[in-house]
Amino acid sequence: MATVSLEKLVKRYGSLEVVHGIDLEVADREFIALVGPSGCGKSTTLRMIAGLEQISGGDLRIGGKVVNDLPPRARNLAMVFQSYALYPHMTVRENMGFSLKIAGMKPEEVAPRVDEAAATLDLTHLLDRRPSQLSGGQRQRVAMGRAIVRDPDVFLFDEPLSNLDAKLRTQMRVEIKKLHAKVQSTVIYVTHDQVEAMTLADRIVIMRDGYIEQVGTPEEVFRRPNSKFVAGFIGSPPMNLKDAEVTDGMLVFANGDRLPLPEKFRDRVSSGQKVTFGLRPDDLYPVGHGIHSGSEADVHKQDLRVLLTEPLGNETLVFSELGGAEWVARMLNPRPLGTGEVLAFCFDLAQAHLFDRESGRSLRGSHGKD
Amino acid sequence: MNENSKARATALTLSIIHKIALFLAMTIICLPGLWIVLASFRPTVEIMAKPPVWVPQDLSFDAYVAMFSGVGQGGIPVIEYFRNSLIISVTSTVIALAIGMAGGYAFARFRFRAKSAIFLGLMLTRTVPGIALSLPLFFVYSRLGIIDTHFGLIMAYVALNVPFTIWLIDGFFRQVPKDLAEAAQIDGCTRWQAFWQVEFPLAGPGIASSGIFAFLTSWNEFALASQLTRSVNSKTLPVGLLDYTAEFTIDWRGMCALAVVMIIPALVLTFIVQKHLVSGLTSGAVKG
Amino acid sequence: MKGWRPPAPFILLLPAIVVLAAVVIVPLVLSLYSSFTAFRLTQPASLYTLIGFRNYQRILTDIEFWAAFGRTVLLLTIALNLEMLLGLGLAMLVEKATSGQRLLRTIMMFPMMFSPILVGFQFKFMFNDNIGLVNNTLQSLGLSSQAIPWLIDGTLAFIAILVAEIWSSTSVFAILILAGLLAMPKEPIEAARVDGCTPWQTFRYVTWPFIMPFAYIAMTIRSLDVARAYDIVKIMTDGGPAKRTELLWTLISRTAYADARMGVANAMAYVAILLSIVFTAYFFRKLSAARTQIAAEW
Repeated sequence: MATVSLEKLVKRYGSLEVVHGIDLEVADREFIALVGPSGCGKSTTLRMIAGLEQISGGDLRIGGKVVNDLPPRARNLAMVFQSYALYPHMTVRENMGFSLKIAGMKPEEVAPRVDEAAATLDLTHLLDRRPSQLSGGQRQRVAMGRAIVRDPDVFLFDEPLSNLDAKLRTQMRVEIKKLHAKVQSTVIYVTHDQVEAMTLADRIVIMRDGYIEQVGTPEEVFRRPNSKFVAGFIGSPPMNLKDAEVTDGMLVFANGDRLPLPEKFRDRVSSGQKVTFGLRPDDLYPVGHGIHSGSEADVHKQDLRVLLTEPLGNETLVFSELGGAEWVARMLNPRPLGTGEVLAFCFDLAQAHLFDRESGRSLRGSHGKD
Repeated sequence: MNENSKARATALTLSIIHKIALFLAMTIICLPGLWIVLASFRPTVEIMAKPPVWVPQDLSFDAYVAMFSGVGQGGIPVIEYFRNSLIISVTSTVIALAIGMAGGYAFARFRFRAKSAIFLGLMLTRTVPGIALSLPLFFVYSRLGIIDTHFGLIMAYVALNVPFTIWLIDGFFRQVPKDLAEAAQIDGCTRWQAFWQVEFPLAGPGIASSGIFAFLTSWNEFALASQLTRSVNSKTLPVGLLDYTAEFTIDWRGMCALAVVMIIPALVLTFIVQKHLVSGLTSGAVKG
Repeated sequence: MKGWRPPAPFILLLPAIVVLAAVVIVPLVLSLYSSFTAFRLTQPASLYTLIGFRNYQRILTDIEFWAAFGRTVLLLTIALNLEMLLGLGLAMLVEKATSGQRLLRTIMMFPMMFSPILVGFQFKFMFNDNIGLVNNTLQSLGLSSQAIPWLIDGTLAFIAILVAEIWSSTSVFAILILAGLLAMPKEPIEAARVDGCTPWQTFRYVTWPFIMPFAYIAMTIRSLDVARAYDIVKIMTDGGPAKRTELLWTLISRTAYADARMGVANAMAYVAILLSIVFTAYFFRKLSAARTQIAAEW
């Protein structure tokens, strides 16, 4: 039973403020991912929750109780470190049972819990090894085992998969998801990888420079980014974001190229306004090689020259040029394309985004609604 | 083909030269020590013989027997010196380790103002030559009445060993990832428990080597001991060695035997520490 | 929560600072004071006779002092450089050895365990003109017809001391440089060889820059303890013959304890301390620089 709530949480190192009074409510049993580029304050925030960093301002509540000055051991949480932080002088069994031993539990009480956790994670045959005798994936699992043995209120993950190779990472991602389904604890998961955040989390918190940019479900942050930053950060390949100026119901790019202003933004912008136009690669495709979501009226067609292609098998990324900048399009059911070929492309403007160039905020209007 | 065989010949020559050089270097390192050990078993007449007797004719433990037979026979109270050395070295090592562990941990784990200046400051106290330090210490100790006591020399050796012990232990704690102590705290340890359960066992072998190093420094120290000790109450072995030269003629055999007695503990301990000592010194220095 | 608590590092460092203050700093302040007095051990009242800089004036115009000072610097310069060079050579010899490296390394540490006083005694024995191993060997091999007065001739005594000093401290360099060689990644050397470097060029441009910080660590450690040459000299020649091997430290000892002129001795001691600090601080700076360079490049 643990909610976690951050109220105006601040972290300062001397005179340097790195987390600027952030607010966040994590519901019980929720899986929250903190994402952002390195240096955005996500790890610092996690470490404040863990009790490894002093809180400089604001309040942190776990299960409704203010825990600002409590040491980590009084917070009943478990953490999986990026480096795993397994104790090299203990066997896997001792590693996993360590927290229970420290809590004063008798060996005969510890053993069944360690065995159970080991069975869950398929570690039983490794229990008497030392961490140095394990592979990266196995160490990762031991680190998770050490965390679940305690049956904590809150799980903290600090970039747990970043030391694994790509294949193992995908595999462990699935295991973490299964684990959460099973243990039903609150999870706060820090990562710089938006794919991990999207696939794992109930809600995603996108941080930047010590502020929270947006909080929302994976669907929300993908479909309705509040800012240019979120739009560019979430999604792969990243959204096409191009600066333009609004003139007579058209978007005019620096070199004079034009696109029609999407219908839904007609009333929200004025002529002469400097904006950033955003369109995901999924919403830009050669005619006949994609799906539009809204009405046919919102689809704008234009010929573009192919500069480069990246065939991925089931789809091809097509790079072309408009407004003096490079655009990425996603071509489904691809056919071979030649460089220099001119193709008609669909711009699904119903899915387009528009941001104020100055502030970076979305011009969609009140949050949540298109 | 010809070029190949020429290159092979060169390689062979180089390898032979390398082996000879290595052998010579090792001989130079070992010979003085071995010569002393040998001399301690030989009768004085043989040591003094002219022309020299190269092949030992008559080996015996006489020198050792004489040495440990005590003051009564006009000998030197080696047993008392040995005991003084042991008490003083062990006690000062234990204290220096305790202080050094606290200090080394502070340098390895905390950030604080003027850190590197404080570190350099501590190191500089170690550079004060023993003989220069002995002047005021001699004066202060006489006033306090702790000259020629174990306590006085122990204090001096603690101060002598603390800076270097801090340097070494700092290096060993740095080798223990910070994450581990944090993981232990998350696992329910207090900071104190985290230290003893995780950081200390991992840095343990290194700390032990720092201890042995401190012990050897105390065991071998001469400049301070020669001024701060007066009598059999507190004289240590290195000062005792000088007893043999105080007389008009030098008892070479006796001195050699005492030298062997001094070197044996040092020898054993150094073998134990060699691996960790080097890693402690270098890790602190390179990873900074 | 519980009112003001001193920061943790302060508490942890406090014992070290207290001990060093009590045993090193306070006595040194005292000796600084007494270096401005006419203090003689035999006349305790003279501790309160302030004479300003007269002690310093006296030693700075004293030829004997300058001779000892110069000899000390000369000894240190020659010894440290040779130790470094020989240590490097020894480390490379051992690193190249294909088998028994562990044993070699252990033997290499051998001189480190010798107390300087023992080193002094050992070489006094070896260099004894009558029964020493050196003369005996030279004479038996017919390389010298009469006994060479190693410790009796001034220059020869200096050389004998130098040999003892180098024997005892080369291993510090060898061990640390060897640690550097063993820690060094092999790829850059292989790359250099493929790029056509001669062994000398490989050493000069690849190996040496990497092991330099290790050499500086050794230098720093050595300079912390340069004064232990005192022990060696004390027992080998005690500054003799006729003060021809007098070093700063033996001079201090003689002035203070034999002549009982504490004030003057303290003034000399300050010069010696300064000398040590300059050596250490210099290498410490070099070490920091080399360390940042290594951290940036490797």
